[in-house]
Amino acid sequence: MEYTLNVSNLKEQFYTRRGIYKALNGVDILLRKGEILGIAGESGCGKTTLGLTIIGLLPRNAVVTDGEILLDGKDLIATLREFASKEANNLNLRHSENMMKKLNKQLINVRGSRISMVFQDPMTSLNPVLRIGYQIAETLMVHQPEVLAKRRLARSKVNDSDLREALKLLENGADEQSIKAFAETRQLEGIEEQLLNIWRRNDLGIARKEKMILSLRSERLGGFDMAVLERVVNQGGIGGWMRIPGLNRMSKAVLIKEGNAKAVELLSSLEIPNPEEVVKMYPHELSGGMRQRIIIAIALANNPELVIMDEPTSALDVTVQAQILDLLKHLKQRFNTSFILISHDLSVLAEVCDRIGIMYAGRIVEVATVDAIFNKPLHPYTTMLISAVPTIKGGEIQGIGGAVPDMRFPPSGCMFHPRCPYVMDKCRENNPQMKDLEDEHLVACYLYEGQKGEQN
Amino acid sequence: MIIAARRLTKEFEIKANSAFGKPLRLRAVDSVDIQVEEGQIVGVVGESGSGKSTLGRTLLGLLNPSAGTVFFDIPDDVLKEYDGFLRDGDAKGAASIEMEYSIFKKKGEKLKKIRSGMNMVFQDPYSSLDPRMNVLSIITEPLLAMNYMKPDKAFDRCMELLEEVGLPSDFAYRYPHELSGGQKQRVALARGMATLPKFLVLDEPTSALDVSVQAQILSLLRKIREKYHIGMVIITHNIAVISYMADQVNVMYAGKIVESGPKEDVILNPVHPYTIALISAVPGKMVKPNRIILKGDTPNLINPPQGCVFHPRCPMAFGICGWTADEIATDLKYLVNDKFAGSFNDKVVVSTGTGGNLVINNTSAGDEMTLERIINDEKGNMKSLTAIEGLERHGTNIELKIKGYQVPKMYNHDGRKVSCLLYAGDDIKA
Repeated sequence: MEYTLNVSNLKEQFYTRRGIYKALNGVDILLRKGEILGIAGESGCGKTTLGLTIIGLLPRNAVVTDGEILLDGKDLIATLREFASKEANNLNLRHSENMMKKLNKQLINVRGSRISMVFQDPMTSLNPVLRIGYQIAETLMVHQPEVLAKRRLARSKVNDSDLREALKLLENGADEQSIKAFAETRQLEGIEEQLLNIWRRNDLGIARKEKMILSLRSERLGGFDMAVLERVVNQGGIGGWMRIPGLNRMSKAVLIKEGNAKAVELLSSLEIPNPEEVVKMYPHELSGGMRQRIIIAIALANNPELVIMDEPTSALDVTVQAQILDLLKHLKQRFNTSFILISHDLSVLAEVCDRIGIMYAGRIVEVATVDAIFNKPLHPYTTMLISAVPTIKGGEIQGIGGAVPDMRFPPSGCMFHPRCPYVMDKCRENNPQMKDLEDEHLVACYLYEGQKGEQN
Repeated sequence: MIIAARRLTKEFEIKANSAFGKPLRLRAVDSVDIQVEEGQIVGVVGESGSGKSTLGRTLLGLLNPSAGTVFFDIPDDVLKEYDGFLRDGDAKGAASIEMEYSIFKKKGEKLKKIRSGMNMVFQDPYSSLDPRMNVLSIITEPLLAMNYMKPDKAFDRCMELLEEVGLPSDFAYRYPHELSGGQKQRVALARGMATLPKFLVLDEPTSALDVSVQAQILSLLRKIREKYHIGMVIITHNIAVISYMADQVNVMYAGKIVESGPKEDVILNPVHPYTIALISAVPGKMVKPNRIILKGDTPNLINPPQGCVFHPRCPMAFGICGWTADEIATDLKYLVNDKFAGSFNDKVVVSTGTGGNLVINNTSAGDEMTLERIINDEKGNMKSLTAIEGLERHGTNIELKIKGYQVPKMYNHDGRKVSCLLYAGDDIKA
């Protein structure tokens, strides 16, 4: 089985004036390709910290004491571990800052292109002074300038008969592969994506789509633009004379313009009405649900392997939330991307996830498929969490007594033991290991110790 | 009735776009009727911006309504009499009852007395408790301010209340920052109950809390209701919470109550298209065969849609729901210039005239037949087309006639009140 993301034994602490908060205490995650994994838990259980650690966005007082985060087999946080082994006992914030800068440099090609993140509040995640189109184009320009350049060059090279032929192929129901092959034989790489994106749009009629495809052939490129695009394609990015101030700005403008065109296609694939108008707008002109879609578009712009969504619908109304969740289900099929969906709301996760991990006090205590979590929860915490959620159908609900532990002084043994109704002596002393009981139903609880299953 | 509101309307003035322009008016609550019996929990549910919080504040007299009244502790027969006066348009009779029972006509000591009979618990326990007061002063403040009891007795009352909400008595000397979210909300609840009110408004009492704590607070609320027989209005966006707590449910959309009735009817068997959509949008594990996902967002209340406010998003809208020429034109443009562009010549333009009429210019002969066919075919998907009554050719132009519209009232249907023309029955004018 191939995993996109493999997090093992991740431990993290925050050094504060009031003491050391043990935020993560050995988190294990295995995420498959194209899977949506939900992470649920009460506030303060470390779900957001986990998301931020995977993408490497940490404050300077955070120390990762142990663990690995492997993205397609490559370790992302080696620098952090190394730093922790040197300074764990006596954290120097200035050293930590320098180390974070180093980490930022290492991750610059990972963030936004291979892993991206969607934050909770759509009102504050967009830049209010830039147009939507620019904000989407920027991430494309930074991570895939050559793709943008190829698109633009292809449009300047293509002629009417090519387009008519492509149109015929599309009308006959050609699939992605054959359109790609067609573009390659004509040496028009970059056009296939534009053709397909226009053809897949649901908001336009056939006549309009045909017109748009035929008008893909653009006016000839200016000399400077041509030089920029060709250099970007040949060198695989912005470089050389394009770094000269002034010229740099002008060459970026060429790419941004093309990025805007791609932004329209992206937005239309996210079912945003009138994408041509939306890219020209500023964030304040859009509603909350619309903004969250834009942020999802930015996150998906570079076809990342992993998208982390931290409470993506908590700030939205139920009807808009339903729209976004519906969209997520479609995206999962369309893009070959894995998602981690962090939420305090189990019912949101039930709606879209394949598997759900229940987190408590910096540990994942149970992982299973959605059906197993809801129909056959094993860990006492999971059971209590589910019975605390009121449902439309009615029925009694039961709160969980006690409170989330103070993570400066976490309880000994299993962290849930002070609140657990089935607590045993063993629970107070030892921390149970994750155990795979059946069909990938993993649980960390001594109640299931006697049952067969392998220690993980 | 502990609380009864009639034709309650609250408008806010918003700064005009230009210095000399007229101020804009935003109608947050639009002629709402609501009533709460003793010991009854009434739920108000709606999306953000639907006016539910404004309604709650106006019910308590924290905001002055632009029109309508709120009665406190009014005998049922007097309320019935008042409803009769309203129906017959007897302003004099209505005013005499308002004089006696309306909370907005009371002043001074009388108002103070009423105020101690009603209270509010706010959404965010983090900001609704004064950080510089300890729990004891927070809870005793309303008792002393209302002259409800003497300070020495107030201390005992505070201890009683703390026990009631499930907090140990040593919490009296703690400050809000020392409490967790759930404990703070318990303190806020104790403060709300301090003067033994008959009526309590709870504005999103649990949305800032974790589910495990939410469950504790909700069962505490139920216990309090049972013991003290307090009438409550619970305002929330969470339908599951309403379904767990409330006896009566009111669904609000754009300032209006669109459906109102007993919980069993409204939640389990909704009839208003918005309620149906709202309840089917609740995420969860259960299978929802006919899930409705609404398009678009809540309307702008400064310039709300005409007719029924929900019609632009409504999956069941029809001809007289309030379609305007502009709304129909947008859909027609898509059909004429895009989806069926092949059936018309290139110069065809859909335009709206000044008098609110809809014209298609530069058509060629026979286009009206095509158009009629298309409109009939697409009616099912594009509800706005149902408002087109007929076509008429003037030269190269085709003029479309638009049906008149009707504003829905509250109709009785299947044990509840619903504001939708689908259930208007004989009330629809020909």
